[in-house]
This record gives sequence, C-alpha cells and structure tokens, in this order.
Amino acid sequence: MKNVLLTLLLILLGCQIATASERPSRVVSINLCTDQLLLMLAEPEQIASVSHLALEPNSSYMADKAAKFRINYAKAEELIELKPDLILAGLYNDRSLVLLLKKLGYRVEVFPLSSNLEDIRNNIRVMAELIGRETEGQRLISEMDKRLEQISRSNPTHKPRGAFYQPNGYTSGRNTLQHSALELAGWLNIADEEGVVGYGSLDLERLILAKPEQLFTSSYAPGTQSRGQLILKHPVLKQLTHGREMIEVAYKYWICGGPMITDAVEILHKSLPR
Amino acid sequence: MKPAAMNKQRLLIGLLSLLVVCLFVTSLFIGSNPLPIFQAARESLLDTPTVIGLIFGEIRLPRALIALFTGATLGLAGAAMQGLLRNPLASPGLIGSSSGAALGAVAMLYFGLGVLIPLAVPLGGVAGALLATFMVYLMAGREAGTLTLILAGVAINALALALISLLLNLAPSPYAVREIVLWMMGSIANHSMMDLWTLLPGVLLGWLMLFGTGRSLDALTLGEETASTMGISLPRLRWRIFLAVALSVGSVVSITGSIGFIGLVVPHLLRPLVGYQPSRLLLTSALGGAGLLLAADIATRLFPAGTDIKVGVLTSLVGAPFFLYLIIKSRRYQL
Repeated sequence: MKNVLLTLLLILLGCQIATASERPSRVVSINLCTDQLLLMLAEPEQIASVSHLALEPNSSYMADKAAKFRINYAKAEELIELKPDLILAGLYNDRSLVLLLKKLGYRVEVFPLSSNLEDIRNNIRVMAELIGRETEGQRLISEMDKRLEQISRSNPTHKPRGAFYQPNGYTSGRNTLQHSALELAGWLNIADEEGVVGYGSLDLERLILAKPEQLFTSSYAPGTQSRGQLILKHPVLKQLTHGREMIEVAYKYWICGGPMITDAVEILHKSLPR
Repeated sequence: MKPAAMNKQRLLIGLLSLLVVCLFVTSLFIGSNPLPIFQAARESLLDTPTVIGLIFGEIRLPRALIALFTGATLGLAGAAMQGLLRNPLASPGLIGSSSGAALGAVAMLYFGLGVLIPLAVPLGGVAGALLATFMVYLMAGREAGTLTLILAGVAINALALALISLLLNLAPSPYAVREIVLWMMGSIANHSMMDLWTLLPGVLLGWLMLFGTGRSLDALTLGEETASTMGISLPRLRWRIFLAVALSVGSVVSITGSIGFIGLVVPHLLRPLVGYQPSRLLLTSALGGAGLLLAADIATRLFPAGTDIKVGVLTSLVGAPFFLYLIIKSRRYQL
C-alpha cells in the first residue's frame, strides 16, 4: 500500500514536471534584455518576475508593461522564494549566481547579446520556444521584417554619410545594432568606413575629416552632465554638419536586441536629408 | 635697475617669448592627422570654413591658446606666491589652490548648475581656489616655515581630493567617476573656443592684479617690517595676491583640471636668471609656464593615437623629481 502511494505521488510529481517543461508557468527574468523579450512574448500569467532594470524608462522599452509585475534584484534568495520553473539570464549577469542556481537544480537559460538583425531573430526564436509561444515569436519576427522592408523600400540610391558620436568620443562601428540600423535606414556609417569594429573611439579630427552629413547620439543618461558628455556640445560638430543639430535616438531601442530596433530605424530614416 | 641687468632682462624676455611663439606654432602643426597648416589657417577665416579650416580654428587653435593661457597663469601665480610667502615651495599645486579650484568646478559641473547659470563652473573654481588657499594660509600661519606650509598644503590637497572623489561618485552622470583622473591630472584636449572665452575674463583680471605687485614683492624681500615702513600694506598685498591667484588659477583649472608642478618648477628655474628679484620674475615665469605647458602638451600628442595621456602626467613626471631635489636642497639650510 505504501509503495502504491509513493508511486502515485511520484507519478503526480512527474506529471507536474512534464507539464512544466512544456510551457513554463513561473518564469523569472534577471536581465534587462530577457525582460524585454519575455514581456513581449509571454502570457502575463507565465511571468513570475522581471528585473528591476525593466522599470527604468530610459533603457527599458517595455517599462510600462513591466510595472505590472513583481520585480527582482537578481539575488539568489529572492529568486528561490519566487519558485521559478525557468530563469532567464543574460551574458552579463553574475556568473557565480547563474552557477549557483544551476547547482540548486533550477533551469537557467543564458541569452547571448545581439549585434545584428540575425541575432535578434535568433533570440526571439529561442525565447518563444522556451516559453512555448512559438507562433507569437514567428509573428513578432515577421512583423519586424515587414516594417523594415517597408522602410528600406524608400531608401535613396545615393546613401548620405552619418555617424554615431557618443560621450568621450565613442562611436558605433561594424557589428553593432546602431550600425545595422543606420544601414537599414539608408545611411552610410562613417565609423565603419574608418575601420571601427564594435564600439570604439573616433578622434575628433578624424571625424571632421570624414565629413559626416549628420551626427546621431544615443545618450545613456539624458540630462546629466560630465566632461565626457560636454564633447557632444563642441561647436565644431554643428558647423561640420552645416548647422544641423545632432539627432538623439533613445537608448532603449538598442541597449537590448529586439524588434524595437524598427522604431530606431524609422527615426534614422526620417532624418535622411530631403 | 642697472643698465646691464636691464639688458639681460630684456634679452631673457625676448628669448622666452621667441620660445613660446615657436612652441605655439609647433602645437598648431601637431594633431592626429597631418594638415597643410597655412592653407588651413587661411580657410578657417572663410565665412563657411572648409573641413581643414574647422580643425585649425575650432580644435587646434583653442587647444594651443588654452595651453598658453593656462601655463602662463600657473607660472605667474607660482612666482607671485613664492614672492609673497617668501617660500620657495609655495605654488598653486602645493598649497591647495589648484585642487580647491578643481573641487569648486566639479561641484558646479556635475550637478547641473553649469547648465542653469552661465559661468557657474569657473566661478566655482575661483571660489574653491580662494577657500583652499586661505585655509592653508590660516593653518600654516603668517611666518610659516617651509615644512609647515607644505604640511598644511598636503592636508588641504588630500581633503579636496577626497571631496572630489566623493562628489564624482555621487554625481548622476554615469561618466563622472572615470573623470577623477582628468581633474587630478589635467587635460587640454578637445576644448573649444567657448572654453577659452570662459576662462579668459578671470585669467586677464588675475594677471592684471598680479603684474602690479612687483614693487611690493621686491620690498618684501627686505622683511615685513622694512616693507611696511616703505609704505606697503601687507594685509592688502596678501589679499590682492590671494584673490588674483584664485581668479586666474580658479578659471583655468575649472576648464583644464589641475595641472601640477608648473607653478613650482618654472619660477625656480628662472629665479637665478633674473637676479633673485621677484618683480622681474613675474613676466618671465608667465612666459616660462606657457612654454613648459605647450611643450608638455605637444609631447602628449607624440604618443601613438588612441593613448590618451593627460598633460598633467608629463608635467608631474618632470616636476616631482624637481620637487624632491628642492626638498633635499632646502634640508641643508633649514632642517
């Protein structure tokens, strides 16, 4: 009799584990970027918690929606209390935390960063599969691709030259989402011409010699002051682009790879000289 | 002044001026890209300057001018302070004026006041310099020996530095913390003409006040009592120099950060050449300071592109051993 009960219990438990692996129902995300995709794809009941960064409107595209959920600070104790059946982390999350959670038997999935459109599509696909929302994932990808195609249809044949210029003279070269967005919007990225790969610094004199027609910036902390940020107000930059102000594109479109990059591409496309 | 000494002084000023002009022009030639500099200079005057004209007029010219004015200010302030305190180790860097100025500028810039109020940053620098200088003076006392003055300076410098670090850590900007080095070491890269206009009023006013103190400083070499019998009001002279140093050093440091040792080294090197006369040391130290900073700034740009060496690193590399040498030398006499 005892054995039968135990078997029953085991079967019950097994069933629960089986359903859980089909579609997780208590998903916890501890990274800003997994927050974004989770909030876009999951059913609200599936989300147990998102990271506190998801509430910050400058970097979180889904900040409004995130406000409805419980937040976490990526601390082991609070995560265990949430009884998650799936934990989503990013490459930059604390490695020792991820290892600890895995050792305790939790299912932890670590998402890579995205530096181009293919990476974005991949991450959406992986996320959709993990939480059992494949159709929603497909829809998100095809909507993104459709919008991007619509934009690039009206791209000019002769591409004007532009560049991102960031505090301390940093710029975005090849293998960055900013570079992808510039190209998709019909711009030539000067940083790429100058051989910058990833995020690198571009000397002010070199930038001037490259004669950009338009400069863009994407500030991480708008409204704050520092010497590094003052360089963006150097009068030579405005003279260089014949009085055209630097265009500010919000950071939330590309701090994480996601379909929100289309919004940025749209902004960049609208700023093409007519 | 004897005619022979007069001629020697004229020759020295002429040579130093020539050196400064040469270094200034050389500074314009050096950048991350070789430019046809004379064509660039002509084209910077056009209504719509060309690209090379922009690099000349908006990047290289302000950089060279800021180096010129900053170096001259530090040299001059050092000479005036050494004369006033009759102490060979008095200089803006050692007795707290520079770090006080940096603290004042940091307090204004990183918390948004620089945007709200025009000139808030240089005014913060001036106030900080004045406060720090005065505190060192109060701590060390009027007849301070070299050691007391240096100790008071060390204390105030340490306090200012700690407060700068604290403020930069508390500042809302994510870039603030990394800029501690900039304020400690000083840099004149990537400034614009706007920055030059910002520092100029305080600098010129300070210079004007300092250049008039020559005769009083000469009298002071004979001792305070003799000087006062000669009709020199010491408290007035003291305030005038403190205020002038605060105005000029505060203004430059609020733009460049504190660049060390120029105010210490330059007057020392030149003192034997002017016959140990404080009045004749003022202009020569200003020229020497300008030359030294221009040279140091040229040297920072000779490192391979992308290595962002702060100019203060080089002046300190030259200045610190010199400082040690001075201490060893003064030990023989005093300690």
